[in-house]
Amino acid sequence: MSHWTDRLESDDAEDSLVRPYTITRGRTAPQRDDLTLITVVTAVESGDGRAAARRLEPEHRAILEQCREPVAVAEIAAELDLPVSVTKILIGDLASLGKVTIRPPLAAERSGGLNMDILQAVRDGLQRL
Amino acid sequence: MGSRDSDGTTGPAAVKILIAGGFGVGKTTMVGAVSEVDPLRTEEYLTEASVGVDDTGGLASKATTTVALDFGRITINPELVVYLFGTPGQERFWFMWNDLVNGALGAVVLVDTRRLEVSFASIDFFESRGIPFVVGVNCFHGRCERTTEEVRDALDLDPEVPLLMGDVRKQEVGRNLLLALIDLLMARTAPVGASSST
Repeated sequence: MSHWTDRLESDDAEDSLVRPYTITRGRTAPQRDDLTLITVVTAVESGDGRAAARRLEPEHRAILEQCREPVAVAEIAAELDLPVSVTKILIGDLASLGKVTIRPPLAAERSGGLNMDILQAVRDGLQRL
Repeated sequence: MGSRDSDGTTGPAAVKILIAGGFGVGKTTMVGAVSEVDPLRTEEYLTEASVGVDDTGGLASKATTTVALDFGRITINPELVVYLFGTPGQERFWFMWNDLVNGALGAVVLVDTRRLEVSFASIDFFESRGIPFVVGVNCFHGRCERTTEEVRDALDLDPEVPLLMGDVRKQEVGRNLLLALIDLLMARTAPVGASSST
């Protein structure tokens, strides 16, 4: 006869997956869906640091520290050593608190192609390597 | 140093280029050779169920795998940064990593002449998605055992797809591959750009 705890034990295999989401208090999807690997995140300078910071997890503070200079979501994830999806949830928290600004990437558009000036700038930059 | 726009956003804008090809063809080597920083590594959880769907809800209940990718950065100017993403080895998983694929300017597909077949899937993928790409034949230790024509034939490449040979440990080889991709993009953009309203 099976006991109800048997089913709990069978979930052990997923521990390594679930654990990072404890940082997000169980949330598996970000509040905003516009964050990408190369969305650039920059901390907002503010005077109210202490009071608001008390509500933040250590990972939130680590992100704020890292994005004093503009930095991409992928770089934040690499530095925190957290999966991208978990990192996005934490960045979404900071954005909704007004602690960071978000700059969307310049995407290659499906129709119309990319801005010629940007391509030329990339070309010039590569030639300087 | 970042810019501050009238709409309040700060920092440079970013674009990305994918460095693809099968396992062991030199993707991370190329990223490292042209990046201004040592390649960084990040990972993501992907699920079979997430194919074509951006929502990652219900993640833990589906067949899930962790894929890792290495990436680098080239700062073009204070307003513009290029990120280079070496695609993860597990091809059937990164093909459905929408965030990785969406919005990429294009791709460099690396091939190893001794194992051309490991890069077939990447070429098929970019062709089918209409993502511009160039092919780099990685000549390990400076030796290329095939001619460009032989490799083109074996890969059944469209004539307009640029193909370059070289040792991707060298910065200029990676740079020339990226330049070839930008030239391809500019050639495609030009006729449209002339009539573009932007």
